[in-house]
Formats: sequence, C-alpha cells, structure tokens
Amino acid sequence: MLAYAIQRIIVSILIIILAVTALFVMIQFVPGDPANVMLGPRATPELKEALRERLHLNDAFIVQVYYFFSGLMQGDLGVDLTSNRPVLGILIEQAPFTASLVASTLLVTLLGIPIGTYAAVHRDGFFDKASGVVSVSLIAVPPIVIGLYLILFFSVSLQLLPAIGAGEGFWEILLHLVLPTLAIGLTWIGYVSRLVRASMIEVLGQNHVKTARAFGIPNQRILRAYVLRVALPATITVLGVSIGFILSSAVIVEIVFSRPGIGKLMYDAVISRNYPVVMGTVLASTVFIVTATTISDLLNVMLDPRTKDEN
Amino acid sequence: MTEHTPLIEINDLAIKFGSHTAVNNVTMDISRGRIMGLVGESGSGKSTLANAIIGLLPYAAQISHGSIHFDGRNLLSFTAQDWGKIRGKDLAYVSQDPMSALNPTLRIGKQMLDIQHFSEQSTTEKLANALAALEQVRMPQAQARLSMYPHELSGGQKQRVCIAMAIMARPKLLITDEATTALDATLEVEIVQLLKELQKDIGCSMLFVTHHLTVVEELCDDVTVMHQGDIKECGTVSEVFSNPSDKYTSNLLTCDPSRIEEKCRRLPIMFNLGLKELADPETDRKRINNKSRPLLSIRHLDVTFRKPRSLIDILTGKPKQRVEAVKTASLDIAPGETVALIGESGSGKSTLARAAFRLVPSEKGEIYFDGTDLLSITNADMRSFRNEMSLMMQDPIGSLNPRMPVGTSVIEPLIVSEKASGLNLRDEAIHLLELVGLSADFVDRYPHEMSGGQARRVGVARALALRPKMIIADEPTAGLDVSIQGEIFNLLAELRESMSLSILIITHNLHVVRHLADRMVIMYHGEIVETGTTENVIRAPKHAYTKVLLEANLQAKYGV
Repeated sequence: MLAYAIQRIIVSILIIILAVTALFVMIQFVPGDPANVMLGPRATPELKEALRERLHLNDAFIVQVYYFFSGLMQGDLGVDLTSNRPVLGILIEQAPFTASLVASTLLVTLLGIPIGTYAAVHRDGFFDKASGVVSVSLIAVPPIVIGLYLILFFSVSLQLLPAIGAGEGFWEILLHLVLPTLAIGLTWIGYVSRLVRASMIEVLGQNHVKTARAFGIPNQRILRAYVLRVALPATITVLGVSIGFILSSAVIVEIVFSRPGIGKLMYDAVISRNYPVVMGTVLASTVFIVTATTISDLLNVMLDPRTKDEN
Repeated sequence: MTEHTPLIEINDLAIKFGSHTAVNNVTMDISRGRIMGLVGESGSGKSTLANAIIGLLPYAAQISHGSIHFDGRNLLSFTAQDWGKIRGKDLAYVSQDPMSALNPTLRIGKQMLDIQHFSEQSTTEKLANALAALEQVRMPQAQARLSMYPHELSGGQKQRVCIAMAIMARPKLLITDEATTALDATLEVEIVQLLKELQKDIGCSMLFVTHHLTVVEELCDDVTVMHQGDIKECGTVSEVFSNPSDKYTSNLLTCDPSRIEEKCRRLPIMFNLGLKELADPETDRKRINNKSRPLLSIRHLDVTFRKPRSLIDILTGKPKQRVEAVKTASLDIAPGETVALIGESGSGKSTLARAAFRLVPSEKGEIYFDGTDLLSITNADMRSFRNEMSLMMQDPIGSLNPRMPVGTSVIEPLIVSEKASGLNLRDEAIHLLELVGLSADFVDRYPHEMSGGQARRVGVARALALRPKMIIADEPTAGLDVSIQGEIFNLLAELRESMSLSILIITHNLHVVRHLADRMVIMYHGEIVETGTTENVIRAPKHAYTKVLLEANLQAKYGV
C-alpha cells in the first residue's frame, strides 16, 4: 500500500509539471505583447524592454520554464503586474474562499450516497422513482441558472440568505456559502445518487451478497461492507474527477455571487493579461485537481485491493 | 421431532416466475445425516428448489402453494428475524461459482469473522475458529490466508474457504449448489472427498445440487431427479442408478458419456437412444490422412509472458518477471485427425492453442501450417491462414454479439475476411445453420432466444463459415447437460467425417475425449508431458500427472 501510494504521488507530481509546462506553451501563443498590454501604448521602448527583461520574456522558452520552476521551488510565483504584490501572497489570501466553497459542495454532494443507497434498496418504490425524476431534472440545469434562481427566490423574494460576497465571522461565512454551494452541488447530488443507485443494484445481485445473506449476516452489515464497499469505488473515481468540474463551476458561481476567490481572481487576471497571476491561479487549481484525483485513487485502493494489483 | 423424522420435508411445493412454473408440486424429504443429490438439466428447477430452502429466491419468484418444513418448523412463514437465527447456524450454503462467492474487498479472515455474528466469543477466539476451519478443509498455509484477499487465492482455494465457512457453522443442513462444477477434474475429486469427510465429521444432512451424475454416484446416499420442474424419481443412489424406474432417469443415465464403456462413433442422445454407434477402427483410419505432411506442426515452441513492471521496479532496476507459459512444446496434427489437449487450468493449453494462431507472440520455435512457417510470414499473410483455422469459443452465448441476429453473427467471418462478395449472405447463413442442425428460422433470432446447446451449435456454424481445414474447440462441452453434450459431440464427429476437418479439442473432460479424440496430448505446468493414441494413454499412462488425471476422471471401472 505504501509503495503504491509513493508511486502514485510521484506520478501526480510528474502530471503537475507536464500540465504547467503545457500551460506555459499555450500562453506563448496568445497574441499581443504582454509588455505593451501592461504598460499601455504610451510607454517608452526602454521601459518595455526593462519589463521584458524582468519577466524573462526575451529568453528562450525552455529558460523561461526553468525560471518559473526554480522560482516555484523557492515559493516565488512572480508579482502581480497591477498591484506589484507577490502572486503567492494573493493566492494564499484568496484560496480559502474557493477551498471552502469546493469543500462544502463536496460535502453536499456526498448526500447523493445515502439517497442512492436508499433508492437502490427500495428499488422501484416511491422514493426511488421520485429521486430519479428530481435527479435527472437537476443534472440537466447548469449551475449558473440554478444560481440565478436561488438568488431570486431566497435572497430577493424571501430575503433569507445573502446573495453577494463571502461574509466575515463564522456564521456569516457559513450563511454566505449556502447559495453558491447549492448552485453547484444540486447537480452533483443528483448525479452521484443515480450513480450510487446503479452500482448498488449491480452489486446487490452479485454472488457474494447471496453468500453473505445465506450466512445470515445482519442486513446493515451486508449493506455497508458487502454492497456499498464494493459499489463505492466507481463513485469515488467520479467524485475525484468531479472536483475539476466543481472548480470550473466555482469560477462562474464566484462571479454570479460576486464572491472573492481563485475563480474570480483567474477571471480578472485573464481579462487584464496579468500573466503571473494567471499562471499562479492555474497552478493552484492544477495542484488541487491532481491532489483530489490522487486521493480518490488511494481511497479506491483502500476500499478495493484488486485495484492495486491490477496496476 | 424424533430422530426419525426427516430434517427437511417439502410438501406439494410450487414456485412460479411470472407465468412460468419453475418448480411444480414437488414433494421431497431430506433425511438426517444423509447426503441427497439433486440432479437435473439446466432449467429443471433444481437451483430454485435449493434457493427456496434457504429462503433466497430471486425477487421475481413466487411460491404459489406448498410448504417447506425444517426440523418441524415451517420455513415459508419465517420473518427476516427468524431467518437471521437459522441461516449460517442451522443452514449453510456453498454457492455455485467460487470465483464470485466471496467479498472481493474484505480479507478472508474478516469475512470468516462476519459469519460468526451470532457468537458471543471474542475476536481472538473467532479467529481461532476460522483458522481451525481452514485447517480442516486442508488449506495450505491457513494462517497466512486469513490476511489475504479473495483475488489472491486460486479457484480451488476459494472453494475451500467457502466450504470452511459452511462447516464452521456446524450446520444441520449443508446446501451446495453446483459446488464443484467450475473446478478442474482433479480438484473436483479432492473437493468431493473433502465434502464427504466433513459431512461424516459433523453428521449433518447435505443437499448436493449438480448436473454431474458421476459425482452424485461418488458422494451421495440418496438422489432426486428433476426435469422441467417435476420430480421424476427419488431413491437411494444404488437403487436409482442401477435400476431406474423412470424413463427420463434411465435415458439420462444411458446418455452419460462416462457410463458408455466402449468408444463410440455417435453417442446416444435423450431423444434418440438408437443413435449410439460404436467406433470402427477402419473408418477412423480412413479419415486420418497420415501419409501426407501434418496439417499443423508445432516444433519446440516457447511462449513467455512478461509481467509489466511498476514504477518502483523500474526505478530500482528490477528485471521484468517472466512467466513461461509454454515450454518447448512439439505437436503434430494430421489432416482429418482429432487431437485432445488436456491439462488443468493454468497448464498452458489455451496459450498453446492461441500461439498456433499467432494470437500470442511466441518466443522460440516453429509453427508450420500446411507447410508454411507461420512465424516467418507477415501479419497480412497471416490473415489468409487464419481463415483456414477456426476457433470455437468456450462461452458460446458470451462470444456472440447480443444485439446481432444469429444469422449475421454466423456469416460475419466471411464479411471480415472480404470473402462475402458474390454470395447470397442470407442463403449462406441458412446453409451454415442447417449444416449444424438448426432450422432456417434461427437466422433472425438473437442470442438470448437460444438455449446453451443451440448457442454452441451456432458457435460451430460460425467456425465453419470460412470452410476451415482445422477447428480449435476450447472446452466444447463445458457447462452443458449430458444430453446436449452428446449432440455437440455427434455434430463434431459428423463434420470431421464429411469435411475431413482436423480438430484440436482443449478440455479437461476426459469422457468426451475418450470417445472423440484419436490422440491425447497431456500438458502440465507448460510442458507436454505425454502424447499417444487415446487408447494407449488410457490403458497405460506413463507420466505421474496423467495417472492422477485419469484416476480422477475415469475411475477404476474403466480399467485404470
């Protein structure tokens, strides 16, 4: 297990390096001179040249990659071109807003597991059918639409929940999280519950469950250790991948709800060609997504040892 | 509830799936301390009956009337709580397929703890029970197995775990549903011996569900014969087997290839006992063309598999692990000859057959087909040779596309090899189906609309589509009932006479081999350890493994 974990982590680091390098290449091909954009049309050629020098824009591509990674090793991600503050500092300041949104969305998404389990056990019952209809309807609606209607209903009409910003103090922060979380999470609850239901039904029909029943093992224990445990790996893999989608939904949701966060930061940086900040935010989200898939893979191995031996 | 009342009393029981009756007014007893064999063909309702006794009927099944009494208590009135008190305690169950019977995500020890849920003992004591049970079923390295996962055990070991779990309960009734069907012949004998000893030790009753008559004769005291939901006959094994009173039972016994001592050219089948025809050495000699060069000639073939290395293995410079699947194998098949390749699972027999098609790369050696060295030609040239040798798959239904009508599946080889132009494909499909004894209307059927025997015939028809010179049949009779075994056997025997086909049979069913094969090739751990004419090998086996194999299969009465 430990050897597998180390191996998996090494692979993850390689993936991050590759992804960041690929991003570097893509930014090279964006039209326009960053120096021009940053300093405006009236800057003198000397000023522009100085900025290019500072950003290593005149060096060969490989050298630029090297500067970026060596900076990264020392915790230096460059400086924000508009505010002149270190990018790392900005990221550290903004990350908690997004992280809390993603975390609360994941927590809400986990609700899909009991819903799916109950639907599978009481297959074709009222709950199963109702949750099926609701789930599919929710999957079909994009987060931005759900977000707008949530604001209209809970903030504008009922005036129950705040619509804008992230709030301060524990309870305020929590209240401010409710609507953005639901905007992203409702879709995922539906999706996960369908997925858990389908794999539960498959496992319920398997031979080892019959064996367990034939030995009179209590029903709760069968459901937990003989059905859910076998059915969950598929769901966990999807959840691992879903982090990427949740994060990209977070960009939109942060704009809709005017929340601070990595998403909003990324959006603003792209619009203003603030390259160091773009690189920083993308790096942060890459690390985040790769970490999430790594964790889901390791969880799968813990739940189902066959996964490890197949690799 | 005296000692003399039966343990299980089934009275006038009927079970339906929708409008289909699976078990029809069955009345049957299982006596205390005796082993009852329940035999019948697939679809006869024997598994449904066994499931009813342990209360695990599928969702769609409905008990329309009747009763099942266990130790005097009516099982049909049991609530979930009642079942919880007797399952795994008074009743134990060993399921059909050992491969899937255990939870893949829990260690063996954990699962053996789980089934002791009703016990007040400490975990240490429970683990000691589990260890003792594993030792009782003669599991090698029992202690280490407790911390292993099911996928780390072989099929036979998994079945031992299942049996250990069943006997740990020291049940009053042990139900086994085709518990030995998926196992190799040699393993089957071991497991049957084991069950016999354990039953004697515990003194429990046992219900042994199977379609394998020889095993019943070996193991059981009593036998019940089922056919299409009805009980045809019931009695002690010696009575029923020596003097069956029911026509169906006697036909079943007559058709069992293992009970036909002389070598047959055609086997009797359930609907036509008169079909039986003894083999004639003269026709056999005429069929085999020994004078020209062999059709397939394999010389000193090595097949090696390399296991992929993990990242850590690569970093630490560990060499790739090699598995020698086939070691210097040599084999000739003459035109028209039937050769049986025999060995336990993992012995390399399937790999050798696949290597002959170049479906797996060979390390060393030569393969000549009709004089051409297959290992020296290009992949494009290989395609035309593949048309001359056909593979018959082991799982007939699984190897057919479920969304494709049978007729299309049958002519698919023609389309793939671009030989379809100019042919009326529908007529061709009908012709092929008629060749294997299926009527023209099968063209439009789908795989799920066929029985196992019919699917097997379609497999033969598809193998014949390209008019091959040779067929490789992977376990052509595995999982088939006795009567259908005979049909497929006769079909192959007819085809090889009319089309002068060479046949390579891969199997561990020695009874079919005994009747069908001209020569036997025995593989053990990747090596060919013995070859010879079927008669010679059976009469005077040389290699120790061959002796064990023959003993396991053919028993004393065939002069082994």
